[in-house]
Amino acid sequence: MSNDETPDETPDKTPQVPSDEELSRMSRDELARLGMKLDGVELVEYPDPWPVKGTRAEKRAERAVALWFTIAGLASLASVVVFIFWPARYVAPGEDGYFLYSLYTPALGVTLGVAILAVGIGVLNYTRKFIPHEIAVQDRHDGGSKELDKKTIVAQFADFGHSSTIARRSMIKRSLAFGGGALGLALTVVPLGAFLRNPHAQSANADGLLHTGWQHVSDEKVFLRRDTGDPSEVVLVKPEDMDAGAMETVFPFRESERNDEKALSHALTRSDNPVMLIRLRPEDAAKVIKHVGQEDFNFGDYYAYTKVCSHLGCPTSLYEQRSNRILCPCHQSQFDALQYARPVFGPATRRLAQLPITVDEETGYFISPHDFIEPVGPAYWERRS
Amino acid sequence: MTKKRRARTKLQRRLAGLLALAIALLGIGTLYSFLVPEPQTAQAQEDPAVVRQGEQIFNNTCITCHGAHLEGVEGRGPSLVGVGEAAVYFQTSTGRMPAMMQGAQAEEKPPVLSPEEVDAVAAYVQANGGGVTLPEQRGKELRGDNPARGGELFRLNCASCHNFTGRGGALSSGKRAPALDQVTEDQMYAAMLSGPQSMPRFSERQLSPSEKKDIIAYVKSVTDGNNNPGGDSLGGLGPQSEGLIGFIVGMAALIGITLWIGARQ
Repeated sequence: MSNDETPDETPDKTPQVPSDEELSRMSRDELARLGMKLDGVELVEYPDPWPVKGTRAEKRAERAVALWFTIAGLASLASVVVFIFWPARYVAPGEDGYFLYSLYTPALGVTLGVAILAVGIGVLNYTRKFIPHEIAVQDRHDGGSKELDKKTIVAQFADFGHSSTIARRSMIKRSLAFGGGALGLALTVVPLGAFLRNPHAQSANADGLLHTGWQHVSDEKVFLRRDTGDPSEVVLVKPEDMDAGAMETVFPFRESERNDEKALSHALTRSDNPVMLIRLRPEDAAKVIKHVGQEDFNFGDYYAYTKVCSHLGCPTSLYEQRSNRILCPCHQSQFDALQYARPVFGPATRRLAQLPITVDEETGYFISPHDFIEPVGPAYWERRS
Repeated sequence: MTKKRRARTKLQRRLAGLLALAIALLGIGTLYSFLVPEPQTAQAQEDPAVVRQGEQIFNNTCITCHGAHLEGVEGRGPSLVGVGEAAVYFQTSTGRMPAMMQGAQAEEKPPVLSPEEVDAVAAYVQANGGGVTLPEQRGKELRGDNPARGGELFRLNCASCHNFTGRGGALSSGKRAPALDQVTEDQMYAAMLSGPQSMPRFSERQLSPSEKKDIIAYVKSVTDGNNNPGGDSLGGLGPQSEGLIGFIVGMAALIGITLWIGARQ
């Protein structure tokens, strides 16, 4: 589009176009200046940052830039090494190797961050020290393009579309759409598909979506246990422990785990384990409406609901003992503890799963006769709402 | 030689000064513990005169909403049968009761009743309604010696409403969990026992007295500005306020750097 850059009101600035003979005699520097002149750009200042070549200062500057790029390279390599070899598998707080695991993300971030920063500083340094700090002046016309230019450019595009005859060659059009679409699909599916795993590979056990740590694995009783801040201290819950209008978070305990510190601490940190054990006040307990199929899940005034919100899985642990509402702090969902923890406010649409509880006749402690009858937590693929 | 001797004397002088200060402090501490009277403990339950005084105060200030026999008045106030002296102590000593008006919840304000009147009403309600009593110990005795365990227990049982450093938070329908600054050890203990307003109750079997004391020790260690390393704590609310300031400062820094990069020499 050289014609709209040629300002017709200043014909004196139009440079002389050299002949072929002159061209062949021009140096690279002169050619570059001529090219800019033809585009209407005048170089006012074009200083060489190192007029004297090979000084020590110049070499020092060169080494500094090289050093930054080397740092960037080393840090990038380090991040690759961290990504491959650092222990990235989840370790719960308090377990062996937690400290190293907790440094995984920071280590990745620091190495990659240093790499990007070093590249940036290197490029910046190079630009400031070696690229000439030119000052160029270019004349520009006022307002938009001329009507002539607008009309002709639109016509050129239209002509291109017409002369390619793509509009009437529907077979090519369709096959191109098929080829391009399928390629796009492949480019999306292959990387994203790598993230997909069979969500039901573990459905039969507690690690799947259907069950929790409250699932019975043998005939062993599953007791309700409170957290005293010390994972190895086992304190079970009795009905007389709680006053009316009390709430306590409980976790599953099996007698076989009593001396297994890892299992004890694991039971307290599993995300689907926390259960709110609520003792209603007697006058409120008289107003309870139970859900069909959960009529015998409570023990007297004691009701146990999962602490995992049915909306997005936050801990719904704000229990108001006067209004008997259970609040989720993340999105302000509210559940009515007197009505099978059904949602009464907020984005949650499904009730909190209720854990069946009863009292063990031998020991007098609370036990859970079986796991939740529905998955806890937010919805997924086959589970609506 | 003289230089060395002078240095030694300087050290000696300093040590002597420190020693004198320590002795003086120790002496004042001992004198203080002798001169200050024993803290008052509520033993009003047994004293019929105090119960009668409590009845009078009750009839003057509480009867409209809580009824002549602590049975409560429909639409005004709940029954006080079974709440115990712990509940009365918490509600009146924090100024929540007598309430100014009906609302989402009774707000704390400077207490209307004097400490003696609080004890009297508590004795009256305890004598006639029964319920949870306050522990024998008072004040600093209620601070445990393991605030670390207290912190664990606080985060397990209390932090969901009161925030993990006791800044408080919102509840449903205009209610809120209060911040725990300026709350005394007695009031915290009474609140855990009695479960005022929306708060669940924590019996002595659910949270043992030593666990409660550790929780109090933890709360005391993070409230009243004790958790602030300096400067404006921005409310200590966590990511919201700090994130906003971080965003503003960070953006300003980024724009500054961009300008610097783009600037010509």
